[in-house]
Amino acid sequence: MAAKPGSAPTTYSPSLTQKTRPPIFKGNDLDWVRPDGRGFHQCRPAFFRTGAVNSASGSAYAEFGNTKVIVSVFGPRESKKAMMYSDIGRLNCNVSYTTFATPVRGQGSDHKEFSSMLHKALEGAIMLETFPKTTVDVFALVLESGGSDLPVVISCASLALADAGIMMYDLVAAVSVSCLGKNLVIDPILEEESYQDGSLMLTCMPSRYEVTQLIFTGEWSTPDINEAMQLCLDACGKLGKVMRSCLKEATSASQE
Amino acid sequence: MVGLSVGEKHFIQGGIAQDLRSDGRKRLTYRPIYVETGVIPQAHGSARIRLGATDVIASVKAELGKPSALQPDKGKIAIYVDCSPTAAPMFEGRGGEELSTELSVALQRCLLGGKSGSAGSGIDPSSLVIVEGKVCWDLYIDGLVISSDGNLLDALGAAIKAALSNTGIPKVNVASETSGDEQPEVNISDEEFLQFDTSGIPVIVTLTKVGRHYIVDATSEEESQISSAISISINRKGHICGLTKRGGAGLDPSIILDMISVAKHVSEQLINKLDSEIAAAEANEEES
Repeated sequence: MAAKPGSAPTTYSPSLTQKTRPPIFKGNDLDWVRPDGRGFHQCRPAFFRTGAVNSASGSAYAEFGNTKVIVSVFGPRESKKAMMYSDIGRLNCNVSYTTFATPVRGQGSDHKEFSSMLHKALEGAIMLETFPKTTVDVFALVLESGGSDLPVVISCASLALADAGIMMYDLVAAVSVSCLGKNLVIDPILEEESYQDGSLMLTCMPSRYEVTQLIFTGEWSTPDINEAMQLCLDACGKLGKVMRSCLKEATSASQE
Repeated sequence: MVGLSVGEKHFIQGGIAQDLRSDGRKRLTYRPIYVETGVIPQAHGSARIRLGATDVIASVKAELGKPSALQPDKGKIAIYVDCSPTAAPMFEGRGGEELSTELSVALQRCLLGGKSGSAGSGIDPSSLVIVEGKVCWDLYIDGLVISSDGNLLDALGAAIKAALSNTGIPKVNVASETSGDEQPEVNISDEEFLQFDTSGIPVIVTLTKVGRHYIVDATSEEESQISSAISISINRKGHICGLTKRGGAGLDPSIILDMISVAKHVSEQLINKLDSEIAAAEANEEES
């Protein structure tokens, strides 16, 4: 940004930009529009890129709106000496946030809850018996938290595993749905998540049509569960295609 | 972890397929539940649940605190589970940490509901507020695993439900009207106690899938066989208040829906059984 020649030297002068936030959902308002103008059943555009980190065996970067995540996979490498012998491989997952990821400055520490959920979502998809006595490390870093962090981390991690050449039954796609009043909104952003009455996160292997992890919070009736699960499964199917095409692009680019 | 030989595994799986498990139960029968309330005098409420060889204690302590700035009209509730090394040698030191976190998170999800706290929560956090934005009760719910023989989550959920119905929180009188930022003076009564309405607290039912069948209340031997399990918390209205999947293997979506409907059916019996046991335990406690 070069200042125009002759003009006064630019110093830092914060100009007040008028940022008005659209009001978030209130009460039983049915005409409510989502803050980013999406339809209730419309996901944010997904962006994936593999090979984000050179030193890792495999890595991937994902961007869904404001949610930005980077995942690197190391290994399979020899398990630590303290570990007991195991005839199947081990999966070690770690999710952490940068200090600047959240609106309030965070600690940047590990997120134990997410780490264990990432582990559970992935372990069913990986052929652990193909690398006995060894460990695969999956490190995820949330660069910016913009809602639906965990689903983005899971999808991105499965792509990173594929990039690392770890044998899997299928890619794992994850989608969450928030229940706001009577509405089900898919792929919620941070603001929507903070107002949600209930949420559902579903991770599945799209080609096998198998659910690897499912989490409900809040009160749900059976018809709502059916609707929300179907919504997630459809979205996972579409997300799986996007992830697959990203992998194909990466291989065709490397062959050229 | 339980080490089982191939023969033992077949025996367990075969028994489940024939609806006759190693301890003589059917697939959807719980082990007998023993409830004791008021086991810890120092706590505001406590309960001990025994389910076969599984033995857990839950205690509820209330402390006066300040509501968070984001939710001034709500008290805070925390659930924490500790796995004692007395239950299994592998819980020694940091060994139990992983299981403790898993159980704590699952219980929070199953019992406290969504972030807004309005729906799906067994305990209404707004009932804990004394002066809005200034004083509220902080409820600390602690679970302790004394002995573990499978199905810890259901036992802990039941123990917390029993402990909460045993809980009496002292009545607080706000001494005088204060204005501005001053903290109001409060007077904690040691005679009058407030009870919780625990009818809305859900129970947790864990369904374990072995082969093509589901079983409830798996022992640790049976748990070592699981390909996948689903823990569902269901309230009296039959609404799902939380769900967590455990175990790595994938499940077909239609199986999950089927498991939910089975769990609903089981939960009705469990709620009735638990309520009568809690009532009996409390009557017992008053007598002694």
